[in-house]
Amino acid sequence: MDLIILTQYVLSGLVIGVIYALMAVSITFVHGMMKVVNWSMGEYYMMGGYIQYLLITMLIGPSLWFLGIPIAFAIIFMLGVVIQRYMLHPMFVGESERMDEYATIVTITLMILFRNLAIIIGGPYQYSVPDYFPPTDLGPLPISGNRFMALIGTALILGILYYVMKKTWPGRALLGMSQNRIGIQTAGINVRRLDEIAFGIGVGLAAAAGALLAPVFLVWAESGSVPTMKGFEIVVIGGLGSIPGSIIAALLLGLIESLGSVFISSEYRDLFGFVFLILILIFRPNGLFGDRERLA
Amino acid sequence: MSILQVNNLAKHFGGLVAVKDLTLSIKPGEIRGLIGPNGCGKTTTMNMLAGLYKPTRGDVRYHGKSIVKLPPHIRTAQGIMRTFQIPKLFSEMTVEENMMVPALATSTEKTPEFIEALENKATEKLTFCKLDHVSHLLAKQLSGGQRMLLQIARGLMVEGLELFLMDEPFAGINQVIKETIMDAIMEMNDNQGITFLIVSHEMSSVRRLCQTVCVMHEGSLIAEGSMTEVANDPLVIEAYLGGQNAASDS
Repeated sequence: MDLIILTQYVLSGLVIGVIYALMAVSITFVHGMMKVVNWSMGEYYMMGGYIQYLLITMLIGPSLWFLGIPIAFAIIFMLGVVIQRYMLHPMFVGESERMDEYATIVTITLMILFRNLAIIIGGPYQYSVPDYFPPTDLGPLPISGNRFMALIGTALILGILYYVMKKTWPGRALLGMSQNRIGIQTAGINVRRLDEIAFGIGVGLAAAAGALLAPVFLVWAESGSVPTMKGFEIVVIGGLGSIPGSIIAALLLGLIESLGSVFISSEYRDLFGFVFLILILIFRPNGLFGDRERLA
Repeated sequence: MSILQVNNLAKHFGGLVAVKDLTLSIKPGEIRGLIGPNGCGKTTTMNMLAGLYKPTRGDVRYHGKSIVKLPPHIRTAQGIMRTFQIPKLFSEMTVEENMMVPALATSTEKTPEFIEALENKATEKLTFCKLDHVSHLLAKQLSGGQRMLLQIARGLMVEGLELFLMDEPFAGINQVIKETIMDAIMEMNDNQGITFLIVSHEMSSVRRLCQTVCVMHEGSLIAEGSMTEVANDPLVIEAYLGGQNAASDS
């Protein structure tokens, strides 16, 4: 195969991987901080897409599309704070022994609720958002302007997240909570407030991903299903709770899907990721960067 | 007035009664020991005092005011600090960050002067706990004893610390660090008037540090007094040795 074409496929895979990364990071962020799996993550992605569609078509117009991303983040962040405060927080009161089960029930319920609300309000239609940017070249790779913007936007959002978590004290407090929840409480920090912020950031990231990818994957009631499926796949491959693990796993998944499509068949594109996932579960059950738990 | 007054405190986990009708009173400036066989409810009691567990019934009064409904971070802000047998540290952060994060994350003031003052305080407390030479290391790189010392040092960062609840501070720790911890406790008590409630199985350490010792057995307080008094109490001997059963077994 021509080296340039191979480079194009590798680049294409990496671009897809970066796009997957944002959703995966949002899932792993919530899990890492609160130790709960949020099954409704795809619905926040979906709502981010709807918000972006409404903003572009009714308020800010296509030229200011980039404003929709922080707006979608902010709206869903606030929704996340409310959901955490009134629906998820009760799980953390007292000494609940079945916290994970409660979280699963609550978030699956929310998934069904939001998905059906979207169908009731928006109907069973797929909405297309105007292109963010004309087609361009990324080195030897011709790339759609929407994917190019998604790539830049994702890198920017992940960079901001990295800065907030590593360089600000509230960010470090969140990291502290992820490392030791009891330690952070007894050190004098209001863990309830941190939970709200963490859940808000997590679902806000999913909404930002939905807004950023709105012109790539269209906007509809079930638009969050595929990114969520990919997100969970990546989170397990990278290791639950590991943000760097999620980013690397997302890049690997993008590469595997892209190269598998070329060398085997594009019809089995989703299958390649699952085979990779199964191999990881067999040989590294805690994921590439997951902590090994001490059993005894 | 007592700094800490516990009235009829009880904790049930389903059908299991971990603590039942525990009443005790600690005077300001005291170093009180809390001992008892494994599973007698010492750690559950500490968790209720720190706000990690909600009591099934009973009251906890701190400086005469009930704190039983306050969450852990408010109790810490009021001057109550708790350490754990397995240190609850931020393992991926440096020793210095472990010291700074709680204060800086809760403070609205982030001026360079404030941060510098906090850094100086952290250095002072780390020096006090003989950890200044490892301040750049990640918490997970510390030995078990150093981790315990870091928990204590982090507790000293709390403004207005008055009551230090320590759960097994000497468990599995070498003699040198054990001495460091005991010296630190005595110095904090003498110079800063900090009150201590120490749960420990290390009887020699408890004897050295604590004027008064409370003994728990099966969730209840069975004896209170000096170490010599409780050591000769028939109920305590029975709780630890199984009393006549133990004698007949041997």
